[in-house]
Amino acid sequence: MSIKNLVARQKDLFSIIIFLAAFLAIWELFFNLEIWPKVSFPAPYQVLESFKNQIEDGSLPSNILVSLWRLFLGFLISITIGISVGLLMVKFPIFGKTLNSFAVGLQSFPSIAWIPFAILFIGINDSAILFVVVMSSVFSVMISTYSGMRNISPLYLRAAKNMGAKGLNLVAYVMIPAATPSIIVGLKQAWSFAWHALIGAEMLITTLVGLGHILSVGREFLLMDQIIATMIVIFTIGMIFDKLVFFKIEEKIRKKWGLSEQTM
Amino acid sequence: MILFITNKQSEKYLTKLEIKNVTKSFKTTQGKNTSITNAIENINLSIEDGEFVCFVGPSGCGKSTLLNILAGLEKPNEGEVILNGRPIDETGPDRLMVFQESALFPWLKVIDNVEFGLKMAGVGKQKRREIAMHYLDMMQLTKFSDAYIYQLSGGMKQRVAIARALVLDPEVLLMDEPFAALDSQTRDLLLVELQLIWARTKKTIIFVTHNISESVCLGDRVIVFTHRPGKIKKEVSIEYRRPRLTEDPGLQDFQRSILYELKNEIISAKKQENPSN
Ligand SMILES: Nc1ncnc2c1ncn2[C@@H]1O[C@H](COP(=O)(O)OP(=O)(O)OP(=O)(O)O)[C@@H](O)[C@H]1O
Ligand SMILES: [Mg+2]
Repeated sequence: MSIKNLVARQKDLFSIIIFLAAFLAIWELFFNLEIWPKVSFPAPYQVLESFKNQIEDGSLPSNILVSLWRLFLGFLISITIGISVGLLMVKFPIFGKTLNSFAVGLQSFPSIAWIPFAILFIGINDSAILFVVVMSSVFSVMISTYSGMRNISPLYLRAAKNMGAKGLNLVAYVMIPAATPSIIVGLKQAWSFAWHALIGAEMLITTLVGLGHILSVGREFLLMDQIIATMIVIFTIGMIFDKLVFFKIEEKIRKKWGLSEQTM
Repeated sequence: MILFITNKQSEKYLTKLEIKNVTKSFKTTQGKNTSITNAIENINLSIEDGEFVCFVGPSGCGKSTLLNILAGLEKPNEGEVILNGRPIDETGPDRLMVFQESALFPWLKVIDNVEFGLKMAGVGKQKRREIAMHYLDMMQLTKFSDAYIYQLSGGMKQRVAIARALVLDPEVLLMDEPFAALDSQTRDLLLVELQLIWARTKKTIIFVTHNISESVCLGDRVIVFTHRPGKIKKEVSIEYRRPRLTEDPGLQDFQRSILYELKNEIISAKKQENPSN
């Protein structure tokens, strides 16, 4: 990294700190004006207190872990099913075309709307939450795999076949890598759908643990400080994955393909 | 591994490749209308082992189509292509194509691009690397073996593409305007390099180009095609010392005679496209 980059980064960091400080100041100001009752509008320090309590009794770390575990598991299942079915869709074009139109519809189907079905079909348990997470994210993976594969430049395929690639070798060493940039976009979308679905499902399918569950407990017991603390955690986790994980992976692939040289 | 066996058998034949009555047309459907484009018509040509043959012809006359048929990437409607006395069936590494645009794989490093065909043939990792490095060295690209494709200049890309084909020790190298996108200095350099590689490897090369001076510089024989549907209009044998440079004055007579043939074809091709003019 060049010095120029480092300076730019420090400037970015500086402006973020200024922004946060201003935000907290305004928050504190509004709290002191007492426009809203204290239960529905806690002060920043109360939220901090709630953080401290939740960390001390170990509930926050364990709730984060449970939620992340569910998220990873659901996401992993989505990737496995989505990519495999996407490949089959490419292999059997009529099946692919038909399923694709359904998948596009299901992709925009609200994840919350799966919950009643999941409760009656599976029960009030972890599997039902997982089911909702998978149903909300698997179609993005499927569609992006399918369209990514179909939009591979025919030139690559011709060159590969000409050099003797066929069957599974062609799929593994040419088609999947060639479709990777578009599959990654699908995975990123799937990840954020999975994340949305998870919190919703945890709020409505009561399993006594998970970040979504703390939110609904907070609502029932009027613990606004706990609600806000949890929202901050959810926000931070989302940011971390989007900026640190997916952005990095995407950037790396784009760079390899020569698609971006000057961004960042 | 199969490559070496076919290589030995080929010594029996003087004629490497025979194109017999090859005709190809494309059906294109636009809404309700189906139109048929006759790309090439009744091509007959026989190419000797180790010969360097250039194809020239007006744009759209079917040169790439013919090359694709030779590579087995496209099937002719009629006729057949015979390699070493046997009709070709599907595409395979005995007839390798160097494409008009770079068809290198952006997800692989230079060295892995060059190794690709060997990997597909099941050659072991160590052996693969050895062969690939040998050809990268021939192309003076050793320093770039770990680079990604986007980091290369146009000329380097085409050199990698040639190396990627040569590692598989093909019977025939099919080159479709490989230098068309390069600046003239880079192209002149590669024209000389290609002649040296050809002399070293004794490959049969079929080279498509728009550029008459390029065709005369490279070819033992230049085949001039008519406008669409492409037929063979004329063959010009070029017996001249090598390596040749494009600006060699001794080549100018050949250039002139090919230009004469081609000009008429380009004019009638234009008339075919815009009948009003
Ligand atoms: N897959 C295809 N489907 C329909 N028409 C095609 C197809 N491939 C080629 N053609 C048509 O066949 C004709 C010959 O095309 P081809 O690419 O072989 O020409 P070319 O001589 O290589 O031209 P250029 O010198 O511009 O590369 C053109 O009219 C083209 O439109
Ligand atoms: Mg062409």
